[in-house]
Amino acid sequence: MWKKKDKLPACVTENVREDLIKLVDVVKVYDTGSIKVLGLKRVNLTIKRGEFVAIMGQSGSGKSTLMNILGCLDRPTMGHFYLDGIDTAELSADELSAIRNRKIGFVFQSFNLIARTSALKNVELPMTYAHISKKTREERALMLLERVGLGKRYEHMPNELSGGQRQRVAIARALANEPPLIMADEPTGNLDTASSVEIMELFSQLHREGATVVLVTHEENIAAFAGRIIRFRDGQLVSDLPNVPQSQGQEETAKTEKEGAPC
Amino acid sequence: MLIENMSMALHAIRSNKMRSFLTMLGIIIGIGAVIAIVSVGDSMRNLFTDAYKDVGFNRAVIMVSWDVTDFRMTDYFTRDEMDRVRDVYQDKIQYIDSDANTEAEAVNGRRKVKYQFQGIDSNYTDVQPLDIIYGRALNTADVKGAANHVVLEDKGAVQLFGTADCVGRTFRMTINKDTQEYMVVGVYHKDISPMMAMLMGNGQTQAGFLPYTVLTKSNDYFQDLNFYVREGVDVNAFLAELTRYVAKLKGRPESEIRTISVVEQMGSVDTSLSAMAAAVGGIAAISLLVGGIGIMNIMMVSVTERTREIGIRKALGARTRDIMIQFLTESAFMSACGGIIGIILGVGLVKAGGAAFQMTVVVRPSVVVMAVGFSALVGIFFGLYPASKAAKKDPIEALRYE
Repeated sequence: MWKKKDKLPACVTENVREDLIKLVDVVKVYDTGSIKVLGLKRVNLTIKRGEFVAIMGQSGSGKSTLMNILGCLDRPTMGHFYLDGIDTAELSADELSAIRNRKIGFVFQSFNLIARTSALKNVELPMTYAHISKKTREERALMLLERVGLGKRYEHMPNELSGGQRQRVAIARALANEPPLIMADEPTGNLDTASSVEIMELFSQLHREGATVVLVTHEENIAAFAGRIIRFRDGQLVSDLPNVPQSQGQEETAKTEKEGAPC
Repeated sequence: MLIENMSMALHAIRSNKMRSFLTMLGIIIGIGAVIAIVSVGDSMRNLFTDAYKDVGFNRAVIMVSWDVTDFRMTDYFTRDEMDRVRDVYQDKIQYIDSDANTEAEAVNGRRKVKYQFQGIDSNYTDVQPLDIIYGRALNTADVKGAANHVVLEDKGAVQLFGTADCVGRTFRMTINKDTQEYMVVGVYHKDISPMMAMLMGNGQTQAGFLPYTVLTKSNDYFQDLNFYVREGVDVNAFLAELTRYVAKLKGRPESEIRTISVVEQMGSVDTSLSAMAAAVGGIAAISLLVGGIGIMNIMMVSVTERTREIGIRKALGARTRDIMIQFLTESAFMSACGGIIGIILGVGLVKAGGAAFQMTVVVRPSVVVMAVGFSALVGIFFGLYPASKAAKKDPIEALRYE
């Protein structure tokens, strides 16, 4: 699917190991001039292929920092983060761009679609940066929009779509380059309950089809869709528990059940 | 990817039409002005070249300079001296006369027409072909016998006789207080453009030719020799040689002998037109600089406004280079669009002006290509800083930007 010139670090291609994400003693320090702030304190974490993991924590807990590192938007100050076997600590900004392009599909809280640009063009964007031919791009983008239930709205601009629809475009975009990892950062934060459930059902479906999904949220009923819940506080991992994924209608019970966990 | 960038650039420009247009305005005016002025310059050059072609590229005159303080009678040429010059340089001079001409009023009954008569030798048509439509040109017998025979331009002939077909008809004319009868032996026709006519005078005075012997009596003295150099002779080298000869003939130092040639005058016109072009170039450079700064300014604003978009693109895999090229394409596109609109404007202006003055205008394709290329370059140059600013944005911060 990729052309030769889009080079990734050499170790990428042959790698089919089970651990998609592996954090070893990851420390993140924010240097704000005089004061140094610890974002993450020696975090160790492994996520296997095909897992559906929710990362929870309040603001300031370090979950956003973790999200940035897992998303290859940032590098750890110390320690190692292996994504699909690649140590991201060594990579340049452009190499990180290439990794994000091929390995990660992002879904953001505020959708982050490009304004005044059709749903189709938005979905095509990651493929454009992967230098995929226009024909393939369009075919694939249309197929993905179809899959998220927006096949007929491919020409719509983001401002002509509802919140839920926009997020579905964003999910289609995240799937464009068939990345091994889907990173969702508060994907339902700007949506009403009905749309939230729809979006979460979509993630569950992707997970059932084999995708690895990492979901960052502070809402228990959203985290309840995941098969594993990891909680953060003050830059440290405080709990890491398996979870029986809840389907729609059972969220309320899921919420009460989980209340005992340290949070 | 290039096509992607082009379409993205077009999209960005279109989604902010008014702002893009105002930004382009500097370039539009700069390029428009350059195209207009360069084309006017080119047209003028053509006009002058045509005018000189009319006079003859190989024409020159030689005389003792008017600047000398001790002007004496011997500084004038005599017909004997002219004959000597012709004999000595017959292999280099094709035609020579005494540069005699007179303005006189021709009278035919109640019709009176002002004429400018040029005194010529019989072989004048060798160097300045005449399109004789009635009768004949002046011949050796006319010149040798100093006959009162004239050749008129058809326009003047109509004014004087009511018809161009007036061979054999006579009129009276006073030259040097001596009134005599003259006979028309030939009528010629000459095409001149309205612009040339405007440059050449009011059109009230008609043109005609007389044997130079009529205007220059055998003992007469005249100021300068008017001659045409043979084809293939280096005009400047020959003028230097002739200057030495005439200096000896007149007992004057070479510095006091003056020559005026069409070649030299064309050179000076060329020099002044080039000077004008350089001045215009300077103005154009300034206006393009200002236009370029305008583009840079708006690109800076655009980069800030689109910080979030840059963040999204980077998160989705755009490399530094991708963002850089995206914004550079945009500024180059905007600038080149301005250039193209400027060219259309400039050419339109020149064509309209040309039509108004009935003047043939030329727009050199090379100038047009250069204008577009240069404006795109301006766009790239002034887009570099904003584009690199965009490309260097940190994706996390850019994504957080509201």
